Amino acid sequence: MENTFETVRTLIAEKLEIDKSTITPDSVLTDLGLDSLDTFDIIFEAEDTFGIKVPTPKEEIKTVQDVANLLDQLLQEQAPSLQVQK
Amino acid sequence: MANTRRVVITGMGIVSPLGNTVETFGLNLMQGVSGIKRLETDFSDQLEINIAASADFDGTQHFSKKELTVLDRVSQFALYATQQALDNAGLDADSIATDKTGCYLGTGMGGAASTEEGYHRLFKEGQSRLKPFTVLMAMNNAAASHIAMHYGLGGPNLTYTTACSSSAIAIGEASRQIAYGHCDYMLAGGSEALLTYGTIKAWEALRTLAKVDEQNPAASCKPFSADRSGLVLGEGCAMFVLESYDSAMARGTTIHAEIAGYGTANDASHITQPSVAGQARAMQAALDNAGLAPEQIDYINAHGTGTPLNDATETAAIKQVFGPHAYQLAVSSTKSMHGHLMGAAGAVELVATTLALQAQLLPPTMHLQQPDPECDLHYVANHATPEQVRYAMSNSFAFGGTGGVIILKKS
Repeated sequence: MENTFETVRTLIAEKLEIDKSTITPDSVLTDLGLDSLDTFDIIFEAEDTFGIKVPTPKEEIKTVQDVANLLDQLLQEQAPSLQVQK
Repeated sequence: MANTRRVVITGMGIVSPLGNTVETFGLNLMQGVSGIKRLETDFSDQLEINIAASADFDGTQHFSKKELTVLDRVSQFALYATQQALDNAGLDADSIATDKTGCYLGTGMGGAASTEEGYHRLFKEGQSRLKPFTVLMAMNNAAASHIAMHYGLGGPNLTYTTACSSSAIAIGEASRQIAYGHCDYMLAGGSEALLTYGTIKAWEALRTLAKVDEQNPAASCKPFSADRSGLVLGEGCAMFVLESYDSAMARGTTIHAEIAGYGTANDASHITQPSVAGQARAMQAALDNAGLAPEQIDYINAHGTGTPLNDATETAAIKQVFGPHAYQLAVSSTKSMHGHLMGAAGAVELVATTLALQAQLLPPTMHLQQPDPECDLHYVANHATPEQVRYAMSNSFAFGGTGGVIILKKS
């Protein structure tokens, strides 16, 4: 979903203090300068934003779109808590 | 120190309640300016003792947002002071990015604010998750590790935590890495950032904090004065560049002072009460290490916390070590101005001691107005005093009993 990508992109841009437009769905996190811990930090912020809880991911998180997909999947599974948040 | 190399200080950097450059710190120190003030925070009104010596330091001015997500205030201080020290020593990044450069740092509480923020989220806000970086920000060795990572220092990297003597121990032990030839350069010092609600409350409970001088809060810490009532918590950091005398001469860099001796000993008696015998042992160990007679010491920058017990005990210990010379040498406690920086105290006071040697000017013990029969040495009281000083001693003692004493020689 485009909105999720947009939110992740904003979180990353804010953290790295870079222009949002330089981040695409295919941007590799490590190329952006985000190591695995930084990625967890972004996911942590996304948890607050979306009102969901993200368990340790099973699949490899490589790109910005991977983060967005992970969040989308959880958003569907944990929809009730999202509504509570809203 | 036979068969070992001479160790010298060639760089200094500081973040302190008296300023964030060595120059500003020195000017304020010699003019008797106090960095102790009322705390203005969101928890101030919940404190019984609402004063501290905070550092005017805003991390957002010096670090990126990404850096700040992993740097507790204690590590921010350390990185900022280290860069100053390297600039001061005239060392560029390439010369120190080797396996022969190490970093020893002292801290008492490490990332106190991060620890507290974590507990606040869990217990106060009722959240069930903590920031992913909490452990990495809170751990005591974070500051030294960040220095190693930032500058590529592949040599020894150790964090000493012996409460109020932590940084004296770190610097003393680092000097041995140079003396024994294990390292070319050592970055050594201490950092402390513990002015959090929980930490101040814990100190309040110990009943060692100074009562607020209502007329003049800045004068609340009164070491060696009969009306002293305790210590004032402070925060900050000081970092040094240490290298061998030959290395400094070969580089043609300014030598600020020589580390002539270092000694450490434990009271082995009580967790808080200082011991005359223990403090005396630490001072004697430093004298022995330097190969000096007591009569050769001209000035002592005392631990001088301003608690009734410490100042009387330290005075008695100085008399035990120095005999009649105890009344000849000059003593001051600069904690009257910059407060007690805990794990950073020894480092900040070693900057003060170095400046005293360089300027041949002794920093004052401020607010020493009422003589105490138990504190009857030649204290430098209320005004900086010009004095010829060749050897100066800096004392650090601590809860837990570990004393760290460093002797500097004028270069």
